Amino acid sequence: MPLHDTHYQHWDGAHVGIWARRWVIARNGLAAALQNKAMRNVIALSWLAGLAMAALLFLVGQLLVADSMVVKWVAQLNPGLQSFARMLTSWLQDHPEISVGTTQNLLFYLFCVYATPLSIFALGMAMPALITRDLASNAMVIYASKAVTRGDYLLGKFCVAFGLLTLTWLGPVCGAWLVGNLLAPDWRFFWHARVALAHALLYVLSSMVILSALALGVSAVSSREKSTPALWFMWWVLGGVIQPIALQTKPWLRHLSFTYDLKQIGLASFRLGNDLKTAQDNIPIFGEMLRNIRPETMFALDHPMLGGALAGLALMLLLAGWVVVERVSPE
Amino acid sequence: MDNVTLQISSGSIGLLGPNGAGKTTFMKCLLQLLPITSGSARLLGREVGREGREIRKRVGYAPELNCHIPGMAGCEYVTYCAQLSGLPFQAARQRAHEMLDFVGLGQERYRKVDTYSTGLKQRVKLAQAIVHDPELVFLDEPTNGLDPKGQAQILELVRGLWRTYGITVVLSSHLLHDVERVCDQIIIIARGRVLVHDSLENLKARKRGAAEVVLARGHGELQAACEQRNWLCQMLPNGHLRIEHQADSLNPLLHVLHDLKLPPLEIIPSPNALEETFVQALEISHAAA
Repeated sequence: MPLHDTHYQHWDGAHVGIWARRWVIARNGLAAALQNKAMRNVIALSWLAGLAMAALLFLVGQLLVADSMVVKWVAQLNPGLQSFARMLTSWLQDHPEISVGTTQNLLFYLFCVYATPLSIFALGMAMPALITRDLASNAMVIYASKAVTRGDYLLGKFCVAFGLLTLTWLGPVCGAWLVGNLLAPDWRFFWHARVALAHALLYVLSSMVILSALALGVSAVSSREKSTPALWFMWWVLGGVIQPIALQTKPWLRHLSFTYDLKQIGLASFRLGNDLKTAQDNIPIFGEMLRNIRPETMFALDHPMLGGALAGLALMLLLAGWVVVERVSPE
Repeated sequence: MDNVTLQISSGSIGLLGPNGAGKTTFMKCLLQLLPITSGSARLLGREVGREGREIRKRVGYAPELNCHIPGMAGCEYVTYCAQLSGLPFQAARQRAHEMLDFVGLGQERYRKVDTYSTGLKQRVKLAQAIVHDPELVFLDEPTNGLDPKGQAQILELVRGLWRTYGITVVLSSHLLHDVERVCDQIIIIARGRVLVHDSLENLKARKRGAAEVVLARGHGELQAACEQRNWLCQMLPNGHLRIEHQADSLNPLLHVLHDLKLPPLEIIPSPNALEETFVQALEISHAAA
């Protein structure tokens, strides 16, 4: 084909701003991560979990309405239970802050904490699409020669990790809250469940920021596509393994596990101790059942190791930052 | 780089020097890919180091090493590079295809860059360097790994960038022929120092008045005639006579040979300043090695 069948043409349009260029980096990275079928499956699984959570909230909501489907179903199972269900329902209707607020706070704590491994797994799979592949193909030179700085590049890549966690974690949590309360028998559920949502957002968003930054650090460690996911999963598993051992020997070692530290942040965010005490003191029958919780568990729920967790995470973030600064350069 | 002071006007500039001379370092410093440890530099009227992002919006760079964004087809890659330089998506995609046409990349543009041959990679590197319509483009050894035909095509494209489209080109090469063919200003670098910076025209015109004469007979006569004229004449180990006639042309020497009725077998004029300085750069480099 002759070379000059098309002539060069000058371009005199307006340039887009720096945020648009950062967004291009983030969108491209996200698209690269989503090319992985397993990743798409993990996201689908996360949303299924969100759907299950919404269904659970729907069921809990039905318990608060006299003559609801659930109460009728209970009555069909055992007519003796119907009067108990009606008594509970009328009590719960009188104390919506406890019946809706406390219940949803507990449920969202469990949902957020148990959804964490799925998000960590997703980040592990996305590791090559963050920085690893760019290091392998010398793409840093290309980025550095364009109208973006290293900070812009890192912000874009951070958004890739954050975007993935939005799909696997924040999205399902918010979706479950919205759908669960939309299906509730009363619009006031939204109001009473606001604190549970605020706690969930505080925990999930802070965890997302921390995990995204840690993932960037790990993805910059090596230019080999298999090494960085392996390192990430190894760190995760090892953290889980040392937790019970460290408890017996050197408790501060537990803070080397980011999952343990995040759990402490979760406990501090959701303030489960307060909720349990409220439930113990106010909910008939179930409150009595909750009194069986062991004192040391109650103490752990009431006094999360927030200081140690923050110090441990700060150390990990510093290490991740150092790796990124050292590795992410055009040379 | 060692004590480099240069002021380069727009045009087509050849950065010539042996491998390891500092050509790539020079370009990377200007693009802020490497930190400038001392001194200062201005590019397109802006301070390098302070306005890097703005400078790079108006500058293109095709690196010597193979670099690309992994997992992308050629057209996606060039579009992405245009977007990174600030073009909106529609314009970026259109210009990407125009530039891929310009560099002669056909249907290969829909294949992943990872699968490209060296020649295709060089073309796509050139396309990504000019896709955002820069005012200045740095090309680092753009003909490396190409066959002679591919080299000629790329050099022709590069030559057209300045001569036809007015884009200033800084071409780094260790091949004198490449630079001679494309550039109108030459900077010769060796061991991080600039040996010469002048126009190609001046360098070619600047010759030392000397020549090597190959004779079948009459060496003594010619030597005597040279001494009469105070020309330095030296017998070389290969039997040639090296004569410094101190003139811009060979005419005075030809007159002497004519007067002596000595038909020369060959007259080899001294190399011009470009060739001489390039050889000097090579010698400096070899000596350092």
